[in-house]
Amino acid sequence: MVEDLHKSYGALEAVRGVSFTVERGEVFALLGPNGAGKTTTVEILEGFRSRDRGRVSVLGHDPASRSRAMRERVGIVLQELAVEPMLTVREVLTRTAGYYPDPRPVDEVVELVGLAEKARARVKTLSGGQQRRLDLGMGIIGRPELVFLDEPTTGFDPSARRGAWDLVRTLTEGGTTVILTTHYMDEAEALADEVAVVAAGRIVGSGPPDALGGRDEGAVTIRFRLPDVPGTPELPAALARMCTTRSVATDPVEITTDDEVRVLHDLTTWSIDSGVPLAGLALERSTLEDVYLRLTGSEHGASQPGRQS
Amino acid sequence: MSRNATTREAAPAGRPRAARLLLQQLRYEQLAFWRNPFGAGFTIGFSVVFLVLLAATGGSSRSSTLGGIRLVQYYVPGFAAYGVMSACFNTLGIQLVVRRETGLLKRLRLSPLPTWALLGGVLLNSFVVAVLQVVVLLGIGRLGYHVVLPHAWGPLLVAIVAGVVCFTALGVAISAVIPNQEAAGPIISIIYFVLLFLSGLWYPLQPGSALARVSGWFPVRRLIVAVFAPFDLRPGSSPWSWNDIGVLAAWGVVAAVFALRRFRFEPRRS
Repeated sequence: MVEDLHKSYGALEAVRGVSFTVERGEVFALLGPNGAGKTTTVEILEGFRSRDRGRVSVLGHDPASRSRAMRERVGIVLQELAVEPMLTVREVLTRTAGYYPDPRPVDEVVELVGLAEKARARVKTLSGGQQRRLDLGMGIIGRPELVFLDEPTTGFDPSARRGAWDLVRTLTEGGTTVILTTHYMDEAEALADEVAVVAAGRIVGSGPPDALGGRDEGAVTIRFRLPDVPGTPELPAALARMCTTRSVATDPVEITTDDEVRVLHDLTTWSIDSGVPLAGLALERSTLEDVYLRLTGSEHGASQPGRQS
Repeated sequence: MSRNATTREAAPAGRPRAARLLLQQLRYEQLAFWRNPFGAGFTIGFSVVFLVLLAATGGSSRSSTLGGIRLVQYYVPGFAAYGVMSACFNTLGIQLVVRRETGLLKRLRLSPLPTWALLGGVLLNSFVVAVLQVVVLLGIGRLGYHVVLPHAWGPLLVAIVAGVVCFTALGVAISAVIPNQEAAGPIISIIYFVLLFLSGLWYPLQPGSALARVSGWFPVRRLIVAVFAPFDLRPGSSPWSWNDIGVLAAWGVVAAVFALRRFRFEPRRS
């Protein structure tokens, strides 16, 4: 869908050769720090910005042509709020529905975004979160095949976030493709089928969130506590050698290994045989956040002037 | 701003028709306009208040520059012109800047609503508000001050349509050069009131005077004169004022070309 995309603002190269493909029905997340070029990329796909170089195809259209047929099939939720303050929730949605050939029923959308009790309230009386939900509603009312969500939950409280996530899942169950930008790792992890980490205008890593940057391979950490009771049998020497922290008092024991299956087997066998409990036994892979920080780390110090994400 | 017409795909079934889109835009423009105290109050209220104040202080005196007719006979069409300009230039110009800076225009730009429908709705809204003001002012003039209404309504209607089109184009054009919301009110009001003052809204200008010649370059003066023409009671005066309508049209074309080149949907702040 996107190949070798470039965009500069004067001397600032905001997007420097981004390429990716999004399959139908997939949730694709562009993850990256502010100023990475996420929004610029998405705005080129939306047809709002022109590109300097590269090929882009959105549902078979070149977004630069700004064809109405493409805009009828695409739903867009921008980062900034943009709703007519004097109209009511219902009026705004009814008007927006009127732009599309086959819109969703207004009441259905009001329900979906959880604004049923605010349907007759003027937009300016809504809270920030409610306005963003209305914005979300405007983005999906046209029954879009593809939805762009630019930082859809920034500034949401936790329950509103869950609500928005549920909404995205509802959309994808209906076969909608979703492209979202976010700087929340958990959001990408919860929603996305594919993640591309963007830093300084380039994609520095991509893949399914649980495999990004080799998360599904490589070292894992096994963690547990040994009882702080005198006379507790020592760990077998083979295991003890692998420990990165030693349980003298209350510190958890950590074993970092590439071969977690064998280590766990040895450990649990020893525990059962010796009767020593392994309190809080847990196995941790590197978090998406670790991967993200590692991938974007090199560019992190150099602040990107000008444009926001 | 111009619609890209390179490829005409077949319209999907159910795509809303042009007339429906325009009517819908007009409906919601009207709703938003009347619910905004600034829009309704300043646009409609001001012209009425000005007219009543002026008529009370000097409306019955007779104007030597206008062949001895009562001044109120000049003020009513004058403020009708003022109303048209306020609705199209002042209110619209400020509103477009606010909508651009709050991201509303960007949002609409990304929706399937064609640009012509967006601007068409805005133009129709200005027209409705302008006509409404003219009707209100004529009503007050007729009932309150016994102003003599025109024999021929055609010239009045043409003058008002020319004014709406010209000042709407100017309103769109000025919004394109104003950087932010805070500047919109002051910049537009200063330009507008200076021109109103020079154009003799509060006192008829002596034709051929230096002031009349200078302000004759600007559309504000031209619209006042064109709207007054059908109200001119002097014997032998023509209700048609083609010269002035021509100047309005020229300003409208220049403003429209400028607007098409410079108008932006995206907020200036970044």
